[in-house]
Amino acid sequence: MSSISFPKTTRYLMGLALFLGLVSMSACTGKAGAKGVLKMPAAADAKSLDPAMADDLYTNEAISLIYEGLVEYEYLKRPHQLRPLIAEAMPTVSKDGLVYTFKIKKGVKFTDSAHFAGGKGREVVAKDFVFSFLRIADPTINSGGFWIFDGKIKGLNDWREKNKTAASVDYDNGPEGFKALDDSTLQITLANPYPQLLFVLAMSYGAVVPREVVEKEGKDFGNKPVGTGPYILERWMRGSKITYVKNPGYAHSSFPTEAEEGDDKALLADSGKTLPLMERVELSIFTESQPLWLNFLSGQLDRAGIPKDNFASVIDSGSNNLKKEFADKGMILTIAPSPDVTYTAFNMLDPFIKKAGPKFRQAIALSGDTKDTLKVFYNNRGIPAHSPVPPGLAGYDENFINPYQRYDFEMAKKLLAESGHPGGKGVPVLQYEIGQGAESRQMAEDFQRRMDKLGIKVQINVNQFSELLSKIDQKKAMMWGVAWGADYPDAENFLQLLYGPNAAPGPNGANYNNPEYNKLFEQMRYMADSPERRQIIHRMMEIFATDMPWLPGIHRVTYGLSQKWLKNYKPGYMGGHIAKFLRVDDELKAQGVK
Amino acid sequence: MFAYIVRRLLYAIPILLGTTFLLFLLFNVVPGDPALQLAGKHATREVIETIRAELGLNKPWYGQYFDMLKQLITFDFGRSYWTKQKITDMILAGAGTSFSLGFPAFVISTSISLLVGLVIALYRGSKLDKGVVAFSVAAQSVSLLVYILAGQYFLAYKMGLFPISGYDPDFIGRWQYLVLPIIIFVFLSVAPELRFYRTIFLDELYQDYVRTARSKGLGTKAVLLRHVLKNAMIPILTNLVITIPFLILGSVLIESFFQIPGLGDLIVKAIANNDRPVLISMTVLGTFAYIIFNLISDILYALVDPRVQLK
Repeated sequence: MSSISFPKTTRYLMGLALFLGLVSMSACTGKAGAKGVLKMPAAADAKSLDPAMADDLYTNEAISLIYEGLVEYEYLKRPHQLRPLIAEAMPTVSKDGLVYTFKIKKGVKFTDSAHFAGGKGREVVAKDFVFSFLRIADPTINSGGFWIFDGKIKGLNDWREKNKTAASVDYDNGPEGFKALDDSTLQITLANPYPQLLFVLAMSYGAVVPREVVEKEGKDFGNKPVGTGPYILERWMRGSKITYVKNPGYAHSSFPTEAEEGDDKALLADSGKTLPLMERVELSIFTESQPLWLNFLSGQLDRAGIPKDNFASVIDSGSNNLKKEFADKGMILTIAPSPDVTYTAFNMLDPFIKKAGPKFRQAIALSGDTKDTLKVFYNNRGIPAHSPVPPGLAGYDENFINPYQRYDFEMAKKLLAESGHPGGKGVPVLQYEIGQGAESRQMAEDFQRRMDKLGIKVQINVNQFSELLSKIDQKKAMMWGVAWGADYPDAENFLQLLYGPNAAPGPNGANYNNPEYNKLFEQMRYMADSPERRQIIHRMMEIFATDMPWLPGIHRVTYGLSQKWLKNYKPGYMGGHIAKFLRVDDELKAQGVK
Repeated sequence: MFAYIVRRLLYAIPILLGTTFLLFLLFNVVPGDPALQLAGKHATREVIETIRAELGLNKPWYGQYFDMLKQLITFDFGRSYWTKQKITDMILAGAGTSFSLGFPAFVISTSISLLVGLVIALYRGSKLDKGVVAFSVAAQSVSLLVYILAGQYFLAYKMGLFPISGYDPDFIGRWQYLVLPIIIFVFLSVAPELRFYRTIFLDELYQDYVRTARSKGLGTKAVLLRHVLKNAMIPILTNLVITIPFLILGSVLIESFFQIPGLGDLIVKAIANNDRPVLISMTVLGTFAYIIFNLISDILYALVDPRVQLK
């Protein structure tokens, strides 16, 4: 046989491969030394950078670096408190609690845009807030944030209704509830007392947007944001990375000067400094845990949550501390409760569930060991939930014990018999709806096994998310697992999940409707935190525990790691992304992960 | 040939109509109202109905189907339900990215497979042939996920040869991030392709014309490159041309693990968010690309093999 030489094209391809390899290797070392850059992960991409579309956690976080509102949460204080941001001070409130008057800070400007005169960002005035708030209620925008104002602002619902049929939405004749008294004075008039107003104004839905840019960009406004925030969007690679650069004109917010008792004093090292502290922020989007974890271990990320699969190799199960290998690298473990609750809801309008009565639901609750669930499915990252309200929120009662949040199989069998179904007799196959994902499936199968021991058969139905929502909306779902995260730090946000008028498609998917609970909710929702209000909430929790419209699951606890060079990190912040408070020590970072 | 092309393009119309109708039927049969997902966790009936009206979901089914056809015919695919972006922009951005990953991998893997397939076919039964075939079977038996996890861990994290993940839209900048995914793509593609091409070459090597060529005194190189390769072109072309649309559609798993914002990633998110306009546009474009590339492969048959006539 004669020898075969490589054809020309193959030689070219080999050359190309070599070139690509060289490009890759040179690039690996090329960007390591970039200074003033904060590199953070995100578990999902933002759907839009329009504050009116800030419907989920990740969108809200991505938006909060660009946009801001009248008030924001104190970074270092717990329980959560608010401080003025674009407002000069906290508002004055009328005696009846219905009129809030804000003074706007002078000199706060939108960032530059071709849609402003001369292309330069202009100063924010009170009527920008009126426009921004009306936009949330605009029937043509369909913002998921309308609930923050729905039925609460004087004349707003009428304005929305009127504009549904109008040829164009009339922003110039807004309702009485939103008034710009002059350039620097904004007045909000409520239809009813609404103590949560300031909390919702701290959400991205409450951010100020420039009317001229919104109108010029139309539906593309969500891709071309112009705000007043600490950062400007530099590049958005959908599904991969969002890069921000510092807003050069930003001067109206500084690092807090007070921390909590017991906080590390180093948290105040940047006290009083103008924010943001970093020149650039990169939010990398990781839908898979391995690249997230490897990027963190190699120092390419300044912070990361600990993936479930890596948890045992990072945390010592006995002491619940960081293992030596990681502690020696200077990595810092942070543990913080998440303001959320997981639960399995019963559809209280389902004929069988309705007829079976509370003892049936209590029996099901007692047949499950939440501590075991925590161990098997959550690496013990959580605490059993006794009521809908998670710890850390105004109205949380740490002494409240739900008598059915424990494992007692004998009592479960007894209650099942008392409900008229001894040994599961006469119970139809329970239809348990779950979303997609291996973990949901495993948890559902665990539930199925527990029910089998009680003599009850369970059919697991796997759904696309929208399919599950449709079943809940149409009141066809019998039972389903779900979680709720806080919108703001008040028990009302969780107790409304069982308020009768909020039935599906509203947040009360269980369609629970107890007149006493409803009455108490209507009382407490208009009250500020006080012993009297806490007493009402306690009674509501008792009613919940007796009726058991849900099987309360857990309040999750977040475990995260910071690199030794990441400064000022305090977990458990409520309002958007914390990037503007964080600082990277570039000298320490240059040493790498050792 | 012109008449053939026109006829084939006309055949594409009922295929596309059928595809759109099936898709439409599927979305209307499978439960799940996109408006509910879009309305968010504080949904009210009023908000849901307003969203349904905006999306045209409150129209009768034929009205919705007509709207969809109008969009597809005018190549104005509308906007994503979820991100409100223009779908055309989303597809163009994602297609370029996926192509940057898929095309080099395709060229490299095809070149390697053809070359090695030709050589081992020539040395059929030798240790080299057995070794390569065994290696291919073994490589094919391992899942893509293993290649990704191992490649990312050993080559990127442990050895530091490549970035662990990421992407840069800049044309030069992107390659640093694409080399490892391309290597994995090539590794994954070479094994099945190599065995496929080996079989084709073996079929040809035992044909009479090869024996004739050899008896005429032609060298191995000339026999292989001038005769065997040319005669094996029809199955090779079919395989190659039909693969091209999939290069644009991207690799879901590779893109997801390497944070590459291609069309694979776009499809996964559209499925998760019940983003019907994106899914419909992607499926119709995929069908269209498949039809066009099928046609191209037919035309190429005629060019490489004078026995094939397009009528």
